[in-house]
Amino acid sequence: MNKDIKNYACPYCGEKCRSADELKEHVFQAHKGRGLPAPEGSIKLTVNKAEYVIRVAPNWTLYYLIHDKLGLTGTKQFCDQGACGSCTMIVDGKPVLSCMLLAIECGGKVIETVEGIAADGHPLIEAYVNNHAMQCGYCTPGFVVTSKALLDRHPDPTEEEIVEALAGNLCRCSTYPQHPIAVREAAGKMKAAKK
Amino acid sequence: MSTHPENQTARALELLDNLKADMSPLKEYKHIGVKGPRRIDGLAKASGQADYTMDVQVPGMLYMRFLMSPYPHAKILKMDTGKAARLAGVRNVLRFDDPEVGKEEIIGKVAGFFGSDRPLSGVAHMEGELVGAAVTADSEAIAEEALALIEIDWEERPFMLDPVAASDPAAPLTFPERYIDGNHWNRGAYDELAHGDVKKGFAAADKVIEFKFSRTANTWVGPERPCGVWKWNGDCPEIWLKHQRVHLPKSRISQWFGGIPMNKIQIHSLYQGASFGGWCQVDWNLGPLWCAALVSKRTGRPVKYIFNRREDFFGGSMDEGVYFVKVGFNKDGSITAVEATLYQVNAIWPVFNPVLHLHDNTTIPHLKGQCKSIWVNKGHTVPTRCEMLPPVLTQTMIFDRVAAELGMDPIELALKNDGAMGHDMAWVNEEKKQRGFQVRDSLKECVEKGKAEFKWDESWHKPGARKLPNGRLHGVGFTWAHEWDDSCGSGEFAIRIERTDGTASLLATGADNGVDAENTYCQIAADEIGLRLEDVHYNPQQYVGFYRMTPDSSTNMSVNGWAVRHAARILKEKILESATGPTALTQRGGYQPAFPDTSPQDLDIQDSHIFLKSDPERRMSLADFVRMAGESGCFSTDEFLGVRTAWSEPLFASSYHVQYGAYNPVNPRPRFCRQAHFMEVEVDTETGEIFVTRIVNVNDVGKAINRMSCEGQQYGGSIMGVSRAKFEEVVHDPVTGVMLNGNLIDYKIATMQDLGPVSTILVETGMGYGPYGLIGVGEDIGTVVPGLMAPAVFNAIGVRIDDFPITPDKILKALGKI
Amino acid sequence: MKEFKHFNAYSIEEAVSLLGRYGERACIIAGGTDLLGKMKDAILPAYPEALVNIKTIPGLSYIKEDGGMLKIGALTVLSEIAHSEVVRSHWPALAQAACRTASPHIRDMGTIAGNLCQDIRCWYYRNQNNRFSCLRKKGGRCYAIKGDNRYHSIFGGSVSGGCLAVHPSDTAPALIALDAKIKTSGRTLDARDFFEVKPVKTTVLKADEIVTEIQVPEPAAGTTSAFLKFALRKSIDFPIVNCAAMITLKGDRVAAARICLNAVSVVPYRAAAAEQVVMGKSLDEAVAEEAGKAAVSEAKPLEHNKYMVAIARTLVKRSILACVGR
Repeated sequence: MNKDIKNYACPYCGEKCRSADELKEHVFQAHKGRGLPAPEGSIKLTVNKAEYVIRVAPNWTLYYLIHDKLGLTGTKQFCDQGACGSCTMIVDGKPVLSCMLLAIECGGKVIETVEGIAADGHPLIEAYVNNHAMQCGYCTPGFVVTSKALLDRHPDPTEEEIVEALAGNLCRCSTYPQHPIAVREAAGKMKAAKK
Repeated sequence: MSTHPENQTARALELLDNLKADMSPLKEYKHIGVKGPRRIDGLAKASGQADYTMDVQVPGMLYMRFLMSPYPHAKILKMDTGKAARLAGVRNVLRFDDPEVGKEEIIGKVAGFFGSDRPLSGVAHMEGELVGAAVTADSEAIAEEALALIEIDWEERPFMLDPVAASDPAAPLTFPERYIDGNHWNRGAYDELAHGDVKKGFAAADKVIEFKFSRTANTWVGPERPCGVWKWNGDCPEIWLKHQRVHLPKSRISQWFGGIPMNKIQIHSLYQGASFGGWCQVDWNLGPLWCAALVSKRTGRPVKYIFNRREDFFGGSMDEGVYFVKVGFNKDGSITAVEATLYQVNAIWPVFNPVLHLHDNTTIPHLKGQCKSIWVNKGHTVPTRCEMLPPVLTQTMIFDRVAAELGMDPIELALKNDGAMGHDMAWVNEEKKQRGFQVRDSLKECVEKGKAEFKWDESWHKPGARKLPNGRLHGVGFTWAHEWDDSCGSGEFAIRIERTDGTASLLATGADNGVDAENTYCQIAADEIGLRLEDVHYNPQQYVGFYRMTPDSSTNMSVNGWAVRHAARILKEKILESATGPTALTQRGGYQPAFPDTSPQDLDIQDSHIFLKSDPERRMSLADFVRMAGESGCFSTDEFLGVRTAWSEPLFASSYHVQYGAYNPVNPRPRFCRQAHFMEVEVDTETGEIFVTRIVNVNDVGKAINRMSCEGQQYGGSIMGVSRAKFEEVVHDPVTGVMLNGNLIDYKIATMQDLGPVSTILVETGMGYGPYGLIGVGEDIGTVVPGLMAPAVFNAIGVRIDDFPITPDKILKALGKI
Repeated sequence: MKEFKHFNAYSIEEAVSLLGRYGERACIIAGGTDLLGKMKDAILPAYPEALVNIKTIPGLSYIKEDGGMLKIGALTVLSEIAHSEVVRSHWPALAQAACRTASPHIRDMGTIAGNLCQDIRCWYYRNQNNRFSCLRKKGGRCYAIKGDNRYHSIFGGSVSGGCLAVHPSDTAPALIALDAKIKTSGRTLDARDFFEVKPVKTTVLKADEIVTEIQVPEPAAGTTSAFLKFALRKSIDFPIVNCAAMITLKGDRVAAARICLNAVSVVPYRAAAAEQVVMGKSLDEAVAEEAGKAAVSEAKPLEHNKYMVAIARTLVKRSILACVGR
């Protein structure tokens, strides 16, 4: 028998209560309006249009979940400190740094990675290849994903807007001049396709 | 054409003679030099399908992390790893005093490379050194947690960070285990370079000036961190390793565990997150790999290690140090003598003398240079795009000073002193003629193109003389050098025509660093054999077969380019011979030749078709040709049924190239190709901020094979160069010797917003040492541009700043504002 | 990162209750861009036992005008403030500060409250594995005093012992210059009173107190504001110096001025002397220059950061001039 059964731990915050009534009171006071707790650490999220229900540890970053656990290794880790843009994923429409986001906080989120963007045949991919907007290629997925998020928001960005959007992506090979060209090319193709 | 082996050898030697001009030039280029071939690696990289060693996961894999020394110089007196070993999820704790770890010779030595310190030493010679213990656990997080539980009694020792101070005989020893009688490391053959007699040169000069400049630590910041995975398949190791020269670790590994035959070692060399030479020059990745191999053996599990970002910051570029220079020159601008001493920090190869370039590409008759490599308690410095940094930095600083002293246009001064090995251009031109090159003046062509693009004549002015309407001071700078020429090395290549469809596979070691070299090799092979570019593919050999010299980056074209070209030429001969001989020769005889009653000389290949030169209508595609020689592969049912098979000799050729190159001290080839760079800056005199508003790069690449790739090295090198000159600096705490900025927030590399436009111009004089008269361009610009910021800033503010990086505090100090 | 407990709070009360239980052993996580960096590098003497996620609290992300007053929910990310037409037109200093913070990605993740509550960036404090047990970690001394202090305070250390780490926020000086108030779960504070130098703390917030709203008063007629930042790079970097100014003109004379520097002192530095210089004057280059000088008249730079004094002086001058369109 579990000796702790008499502790009546709160399923939301772990608060230990001495009786069922006290636990009820605590839950009512502290967690009013909350539904039944999901299994501990279990989240549901959409990655590249596929739904996942997965148990995550609190100390997993979104990068770790996607790269190491789901095996989508297209996302790259460069600085591991939120300072380079390499691990960018699109979360609910925004380009965010997956190394600085806890996986456990991504329940219900819709996530897009470079794999999803490529699978959709997004014109950015071909534009990046055509314009040598890459050298060693390690940071390239981060640029592609950030650019995709930009094009979602501004389908026809100016060079200045592109540079502003990509100013948080570091490329040690310094392929910078090619990115605005590639993004403009992709935007042009998307415009032409719409007509 | 003859296939006699002796003739082949003679022909090979002739074709590979890079001391002379190309003796068998192609009649036309269909793919070489054509703008924009599609990158072979492009789709994989842009779509996230390109795998890097960081991405590798093997079933059952454990994770290894290392203890970092918190002190710059300290010895472990006592270490208790008990708590770490007991943490749940920890599978192994490897200690420095483990009898197997402790064998220094385990790591072995590879010819030409300096030995490393032993892995997991018990003594640290820099803060952050991986010492003491390695923990292997189910996850990196657990391994990290366990490391924090290790208890150590350290004996702290005195440390030094400054190379000049450390060179004082009274200074405490910084590495007594290795250098027992002082911190002056190199007293070997290479630390001094002398030509002529500098005393004479200074005596003959109208004026002699002396100055000092310095460069603080800067480093490579490879986006993919050092990492590796070791897995045992029985007694055969399977290894994934991030390494630019993966054939070297393979050779090293073959000496481990009492010797592992080379043919039992599989190393996967995946895509590489760039490292620019950097730590791949030393054995930092091998000590950890050795530990992973040991623990893998002990646990029976694959083991992976990844350095954290900070651990990748230990060590840096070999221009770090303090330079003392003395220059003599005449009123007409001719430089008569230079003496330079470099106190170089922890240089592994202190051979790139500060006056080396002056010997390579000037008329200066009297030169004396010294590299004093001083060991301080920091990481090694190694060629980091590239080893020419000390000499080109010195050249830039000297030429700009002399021009300023004389009030002369620095471009005029450059042309005045352009030459080679102390000789003037007349001598150099004679050398070009003797070697069969067309005589062109590379520097003149470069500066003329660059001046026009940059509008130099309108932009250049007296130092500190132009204030802009926005209140900033305007400045321009110029510098020049010969083209980069680490052409020494060797490489091997093979090309195979595939059965079924007749496409060509290029076979050589893969280690892609991103310069699109693979595409470039395909361009060469396609033009040499006569194939369509889409029919040629580079098929990297992940198990490190067919070594390529520095598989990617340094000598792609100047060494490997020869090997691939030669293999292509041999293969073409083989295809044509095969086309004129019996198609399949078996016990039952052979088929009719594809081109009966012809000889190889009558045929040629174009657009992947073999055809009769005298009657181009008689043609056959390579696909059809190989199809008649065995579409169904080696399953010879036809023969079994009594029908003759169509199975032929494989269409395969290999070749290699050995090059002593320009580093050859005995019979050097003078440098003929030049590069010229122009930079414009604006300086905010109230904040000390420098704005780099534009750059023009002009490179005489000899012959551009892959234009977009060349241009990528130009703008990429320029941006990296500005980043190095303006921001980059590894900072150590002077009191504790601890690195303060080992992350990408505090160590700053340029972003997309930190630089104005870069114009790139390619000049093609065909006077290089590579095939088609090309030179390698990858290391030029990133190496020359950092120094260029000093002339540009001087032209703006009229005061010298002799300490790189040129940060706002130094500008404000120079201007007397603080 | 080591393991920790993680709680999603669904109301301010729930967050306060969780924080109350864990006290100093818990940390609030919102954008996470500061906190996770600290945890990855294990810079603190004590690793947090629990994280309380407040992103799950509904209704804390908004920008609205309420009777002329600007109200910004604590969880509003910086990019929304930077791009808000309302903020840009009436409180330009705040929009500019948000726009110049960190990188575009961080601005899409980091919240306004997080930008105010963020920890110091001192490279001794932040060194991996708690390498320097400094004053801010309840340790013995400030390592920057004798060390490399190129990014440290030019206005001396904290009262309690001499910590020289500067406050790194870009939005803090803008909010102080705009005379903003910070509403927490328990009280409403003037922005200028919000910051405090204590071990492992940069604000006056109690362990169980969270920021809920930023309130910026309506600018008086004739008021303009501006924000300027100096950093080595144009993106990603924390400020070396930044400065926000709000100036109210009556006719061509200055009727009110609030000028605040940051990254130059242990807390945002109100340049009161500069404000006094411009009061009642007509603004020109000379007056602005004079104000810049006054702003740094009390500066006590260290061995490696004298240049910051010149930059601070310049930014004060330029932000004043920027307010009047120069």
